[in-house]
Amino acid sequence: MKRIASGGLTLLTYVIAILFFFPILWIFITGFKSESEAINIPPSLFFKPSLENFEIVWQAGIGGFFANSVVVTVVSTVIALLLGVPAAYALALLKVKRKNDILFWMISTRFLPVAGIIIPLYLLFKNVNLLDSLPALILLYAGMNIPLIVWMMRSFFNDVSYEIIEATQVDGASGLQSFFKVVLPLVRPGLVSTALLSMVFAWNEFFFAVSLSYTNAATLPVYMASYMTQEGLFWAKMSAAASISIFPVIILGWFTQKQLVRGLTMGAVKG
Amino acid sequence: MQTTEKKRRASNQPPVKRLILPSAIYLIIMTQIPFLITIYFSFQDWNLMRPDKGIVFNGLANFKKILTSSSFYQVFGNTVALTVAVLIICFLLGFAFALLMNRHFWGKGIVRTIFITPFFVMPTVSAIVWKTLMYNPNFGMSSYFAHVFGKAPIDWLSAHPLFSIILIVSWMWTPFFMLILLAGLQSLPDELIEAAQLDGANKIGQFIHVTIPHLFRYIEVVLLLGLMFILQVFGEIYVTTAGGPGYASTNLSFLVYRIGFQNWDIGEASAVGVLTVILTIIMMMFMFKLLSRMFREEQS
Repeated sequence: MKRIASGGLTLLTYVIAILFFFPILWIFITGFKSESEAINIPPSLFFKPSLENFEIVWQAGIGGFFANSVVVTVVSTVIALLLGVPAAYALALLKVKRKNDILFWMISTRFLPVAGIIIPLYLLFKNVNLLDSLPALILLYAGMNIPLIVWMMRSFFNDVSYEIIEATQVDGASGLQSFFKVVLPLVRPGLVSTALLSMVFAWNEFFFAVSLSYTNAATLPVYMASYMTQEGLFWAKMSAAASISIFPVIILGWFTQKQLVRGLTMGAVKG
Repeated sequence: MQTTEKKRRASNQPPVKRLILPSAIYLIIMTQIPFLITIYFSFQDWNLMRPDKGIVFNGLANFKKILTSSSFYQVFGNTVALTVAVLIICFLLGFAFALLMNRHFWGKGIVRTIFITPFFVMPTVSAIVWKTLMYNPNFGMSSYFAHVFGKAPIDWLSAHPLFSIILIVSWMWTPFFMLILLAGLQSLPDELIEAAQLDGANKIGQFIHVTIPHLFRYIEVVLLLGLMFILQVFGEIYVTTAGGPGYASTNLSFLVYRIGFQNWDIGEASAVGVLTVILTIIMMMFMFKLLSRMFREEQS
């Protein structure tokens, strides 16, 4: 009896998981259908998959937006790491006056709604001719992700015992040497997933992107939003474009899921 | 010179300022100063469509205009309703799924991976998927099921815009809640459960007196993070309803966009931005107080 109940619960878990995943699965499948198959009711389960939609979408120029997204995501994450990781290191392992106040303030900047800062930022970038440019988005996404990186990396640095660092310093290593040779390797899994999560947020960000970019610097979220209004009737092509937009970030997300939880919760649960 | 430099570094006095200041200054430039400028703009009469009028200080006129318009209260209500509804749905579903996942079964890793996926999908795509796949009255799943059950399909997004958006956002955020609460459940030490069993507690008793208190910090984290992000929902609204019909599905974030980037009214958009920040702070503090009070009661 107990085994049946347990099996039932497992089955229920499978069903719910598939239901939750269904919209994404459907997008992936519809991308390989023809337009007429895509709007069949009831949905056609058996069809001849073709790459035609992907070719059409690619020729229509999704590649340029894809490249924008890659550049903005990668560069902003690198900047955010360069600025955020040293701060997290200091806040976790060094003696800092009013440590908690500084940490709380940094996190609180992430709590500030975009709506509260978008107007001056728009006018600023307009005045320096950076509207519709990649640098504008890169600068903002770096700022958006620094608090996240400080928050997560601090929790990973907290696990490094200070004795290890002291030991390397006794051996005559400089601060930088002990950081790169001893501390960084210890937190590498955490660092990788922090970077991945930062990339996920940058890749998906929409408010800044739609307010500050139009044609040249538009990222994939902006492209997808305009797709809806312009060519919303072509479901199969839209599904192909959506698949291209979400596939990279889903893969990144899958790799970061375990560390994501640890990094986000430990900072609060332990501290 | 070099030896003194080396000595200084080795002597346990790392360059704290050089490590923290760059990111602090960056954050001040990118977030704090723009917010101060937003406050300044909120006292100006300034519309980009009317360059002839120029920029004129008009005191609290923008706030007065906003706070006396009925649409603002509708938008305010939408924001609170959307946020609270999504938080409740995500918490209940996320908790239920976390309990389901907190068992040993075949393929657990894959199931969790499948579960978490909606969280990584960009809001604009999630919204498009739901708008076409689910809500489309002609070809969507909702119309399919309406036919199956012999009912007339409805256009969900125009008939129940806010409700439809709540479902989309809940779908995206439930996995996040599940993931964090599952981590909490998995960090529960076996000794605690065993001790409770020795005390003769039944399953429900264990759950209320051992599991829930242990989970509290996780609940706190997930609710605060969730609140912060869900208050700022934007892309889902932009793509599905564009805030309409009327203001029926506009939240504060989207109102700033409408006034700022559709009416080009810098002063009024800034004033709404300021009000949005104030509301965010109030809701975060309210949540914080609520949680800490509940936490204290659990402790005592």
